[in-house]
Amino acid sequence: MAATLPVVLPGDQISPSSLPKPTKGNKPLTLGPGLQHIPPNTISTTIAGALVTDAKKNAAWVEYNSGRYTPTAGDLVIATIATGGAESFNCTITPNTPYASLPNLAFEGATRKTRPQLATNSLVYARILTANRDTAPELTCVDPSTGKSEGLGPLKGGMVFKISLGMARRLLAGRKGGVTVLGGLSEKIGFEIAIGRNGVLWVDGGNVKTTLAVGKAVQEVDEHALGPEGQKKVVSKVLRDI
Amino acid sequence: MAPSATLSHLHRPDGSATYTHNGYCIIGAVNGPIEVLRRDELAEEATVEVNVRMAVGVGSPKERHLETVLTNTLRGIILTRRMPRCLVQITLQVHSSAEEHTSLGSKFNSNLLLLPHLLHTSLLSLLSASIPLSTTLTSSLVATTPTSPGPVISPTAQSFLRHPPTALHVFTFSGDRKLLLSESEGTFDHEQWDEACEAAEEVCCKVSGGVEIGEGMEVEGVDENLEEWLRRVVREKVEGEQRWKGAS
Repeated sequence: MAATLPVVLPGDQISPSSLPKPTKGNKPLTLGPGLQHIPPNTISTTIAGALVTDAKKNAAWVEYNSGRYTPTAGDLVIATIATGGAESFNCTITPNTPYASLPNLAFEGATRKTRPQLATNSLVYARILTANRDTAPELTCVDPSTGKSEGLGPLKGGMVFKISLGMARRLLAGRKGGVTVLGGLSEKIGFEIAIGRNGVLWVDGGNVKTTLAVGKAVQEVDEHALGPEGQKKVVSKVLRDI
Repeated sequence: MAPSATLSHLHRPDGSATYTHNGYCIIGAVNGPIEVLRRDELAEEATVEVNVRMAVGVGSPKERHLETVLTNTLRGIILTRRMPRCLVQITLQVHSSAEEHTSLGSKFNSNLLLLPHLLHTSLLSLLSASIPLSTTLTSSLVATTPTSPGPVISPTAQSFLRHPPTALHVFTFSGDRKLLLSESEGTFDHEQWDEACEAAEEVCCKVSGGVEIGEGMEVEGVDENLEEWLRRVVREKVEGEQRWKGAS
């Protein structure tokens, strides 16, 4: 059982004693989502959640699992193509927000002659290149330094499932996230998945039955906040039915 | 009786809350930050839009007035400058309202009775939607009556019958005990207003040691102050989100 984290409300001032102490000399304190610095030295919260600190990174942030996804540079998202233009595709990351732009040339091996042809409503797995409050976010499907796709690009076939933002974070965090259901399922059945930080899970199991089984299993783990034991039960139930 | 609240129970909007207190039940939903209509767009900050829907009947100037009051209050606590050219849309549906209106007769045609509940619902919905806020708020209705020795806090239909009010006040305090909103109706003098304001502060904000609730004041079933209540509601929400960490 993890120690209960302190619950904070917007406007709470964080006392210096609850902030992490720098272990090595002059590492600056990093404030993550939900915290703001009011000069000269007041640190207060802006959202309700649990205050988490990391002494090694000298960082503090507020963990929460509700609300809309706000694009942040470096995040992996599953975007939907809304319209295609001569220069770039317009994509939606979350509904009813301004379009994010995905340049036509931001795909692996794309040149002016061989551009990817993507229809409206097709899915792409992309990384957010830039995101700030003043401009629309920009997406890319290649690593700018190597020019390789590294798993990013158009997603063909499969199906999309909605998961909570916290679940997406946990899935991408690997072992730290504590999600074992995918590992358990992959021992018996083969499938392909992509996780978007915007709360979207894409699954392709080759056939409808596998796709649905995997997607529903993850959604069940998300909804009931299952631990390792509960996830094992879900895995055995899914494998029995398939 | 403390208000009861359920958070994040609707799955379509970004944040939602249902709030029940004294016979009032209000469902709130928040969407944001989303794209704003060009004509409402503000270059430097987010637009806040509040829609109030009554349980019965169509909208009237009464609701429009409530919406204006709510918008102005909430704009003060939402960090709108963090989300320029965006929209924060708050929809409040009154599900059921108490029969206080009828017991008050025609002397008050105000909607002050509803205002604290609407403020609480919108705050909870905003917390549920994780919209950045500079502070929280707590609000209370106070009635000044000639028959009772002190002001009556969050009066119910019965207490209106027992002590017919001469004036109604709504006070809203921020998390750091600052007065955010004060709306009054009826006949009262400055002293009575001061008294009512103090009583509301007592019930809204955390009691900072040594301050006792005045004698003879009728605190109807308020056993925890609203600030503590808000913390409890949020704690439940956060614990619900963190429960996977301790689950087996």
